[in-house]
Amino acid sequence: MSQYNLNLYQNLYLIRRSQEEISKNYHPEDKMRCPIHLCFGQEFMPSVLGLFLKKNDAIYSHHRSHGYFLAKGGSLKEMICEFYGKANGTNGGLAGSQELSCSKINFNSGTILSGAFAMAVGDAYAKKINKTNSITVTVIGDGGMEEGIVYESLNLAALKKVPVLFICENNLYSTHTRVTERVVKNNITSKVKQFGLRTLKLNSGNYEDYISRIKKEVDFVRKNKKPSFIEIDTYRLGPHVGPEEDDHFKFRPSIEKNKWQKKDPLTHYRKLLLKKNINEKKVIKLEKKINDKLKEAFKFAKSSKYPKLNSALSKNYSNTFSKVIKNFFKNRADFSTIQEKHLPKPY
Amino acid sequence: MRKIKFFEALDEAMSQAVELDKKVFVYGLGVNKTTKVFNTCKSITKKYPKHIFDTPAAEQALTSFGAGAANAGLRPVLIHQRIDFMIYTLDQIINWMSLWHFKSNGKKKMPVVIRAIIGRGWGQGPQHAKSLLSTFGYIPGLNVVCPSSPSEAKGLLLSAIFSDDPTIFLEYRELYNTKDDVPSKPYFIDFKKPRIRKTGKDLTIVGFGPTILKALKAMEKFPKNSIELIDLRNLRNYDEKVIYKSVEKTKKLIVVEDGWKDYGLGAEIIAKISDQKINLKKPAERICWPQSHVPMSMGIEDDYYFDENDIIKKIQLVLKK
Repeated sequence: MSQYNLNLYQNLYLIRRSQEEISKNYHPEDKMRCPIHLCFGQEFMPSVLGLFLKKNDAIYSHHRSHGYFLAKGGSLKEMICEFYGKANGTNGGLAGSQELSCSKINFNSGTILSGAFAMAVGDAYAKKINKTNSITVTVIGDGGMEEGIVYESLNLAALKKVPVLFICENNLYSTHTRVTERVVKNNITSKVKQFGLRTLKLNSGNYEDYISRIKKEVDFVRKNKKPSFIEIDTYRLGPHVGPEEDDHFKFRPSIEKNKWQKKDPLTHYRKLLLKKNINEKKVIKLEKKINDKLKEAFKFAKSSKYPKLNSALSKNYSNTFSKVIKNFFKNRADFSTIQEKHLPKPY
Repeated sequence: MRKIKFFEALDEAMSQAVELDKKVFVYGLGVNKTTKVFNTCKSITKKYPKHIFDTPAAEQALTSFGAGAANAGLRPVLIHQRIDFMIYTLDQIINWMSLWHFKSNGKKKMPVVIRAIIGRGWGQGPQHAKSLLSTFGYIPGLNVVCPSSPSEAKGLLLSAIFSDDPTIFLEYRELYNTKDDVPSKPYFIDFKKPRIRKTGKDLTIVGFGPTILKALKAMEKFPKNSIELIDLRNLRNYDEKVIYKSVEKTKKLIVVEDGWKDYGLGAEIIAKISDQKINLKKPAERICWPQSHVPMSMGIEDDYYFDENDIIKKIQLVLKK
């Protein structure tokens, strides 16, 4: 269990520290010129999932995605390069923070609220059809849960029985609008249950308890190839977008934020590690390693090159075809002459 | 050569696609029920029932479902029995599918085909007869393929299914019963190449889909080798040089378009010729639908759409010395 906790702490620390470094470097340098949604306070769920997901499992994330990207094993260097719009970024500098994706780790995300959530159902269908042992995980916020496509997708997942784990991070706010202003009943899980889906709500209990219940759902989806839905109460301790604090807009009571601040999983797990007799030196060493990696990633990103415009313009179409076409015409004329060779004169 | 109808050609393409690759699947509202999408999903339902499924009325989720399945390696074909239902899904098509390859810096593929049928005619009215070709032609990253004959319906659909880019496949219902030679084996057509249907030296006509048939009929009134007819086949991502070469030769241009005039294909092609600084001997002309929603009434519907006589009049005007 101690290695377990150490790995979890490593995820939490990497996610938290990377958010801090992004904030620090964002202004006045102004070279990461894209909307960035930091995940201060919401590091727990990605850090836990990172322990249980396998390489071929896919993630479809909302826009506050850095935690999930890093926990899935995404390259820190490539992520920071992407934020700086550099050619060696995960997306060649064409997408930025809110649309981060990476084929190597089967990670996808996007910012038009619920699109990624809906895509996950199709991805999971492919996993089922291909008879793999992999699962698809998708993460959405309580704001995203208000879009109609979500309910269409939950229904499809239940109907087609696909291995998808839906996760809703309920942080109470859609940008700056509190959930009570948006719905009469803040009862996401019970709505979802109506679709005939297995559900789990995480709003009470301790972190250790949460972890074992999350693991149980991951295992359930993998073993039974059926969907499950988790709603976790969480809190955004930082701003909605960018590094600028937004608390002066007074959209949330400070008492609420303070309450969640006290529950910060990072502080909790550091204390826990030391209590479980893990040598503090070992923890400090781990932290230093992460900080060095971060320093190096930023240095690397800043000195990397921008993409070429012509290269970007050529990325709208792959203009490629399945191998099926190549195989079919293996011993025949090349593709461009097929039209004349095989088609009769119409009409 | 065997002659079959346009809808039979589509039907054959659908089941041959699965025969070639078990990653292909077909889905949409009622696709394997009653008329089986005007008999275009008949053989796939019979031969490969596991590769076709009926769905709830949830166009948005269905579109994303296809995008996700394609991202994970399958080749989905989603069908809307009327294109008007596809408008539910502009977000999924524009914000996700069309830019998936672009935003991944060319690393991810999106091999989805969305077949959309355009009702045009027989009182289909405002919500069943729109063409919307330029709505999708406007979007980078999409192929917008539209066949004009049975043989092309089959070859283009197979090519679209095995293309790694997302394709909006437009089918005009009025073409479904046209009949022509169609090879029985699977074959593919390079939809990036507009097809020169007739060669001529005096005038270039550019069209697509059902306008090709009307133009061919109109052209019977004029001498052979006088009018060059180009079928675009793909309304975006096509080899423009085919058109430039033709217009440079004929110096006259008419664009025939089954769709609205403003921001339409005619506007686009004529602007492209202008960009190329090709001097025309006569002002370019376009034949389109009026700038109005489609009326249902039998009494006025025929007058709303153009026919080959309208094309003949336009040709006479442009060819007049």
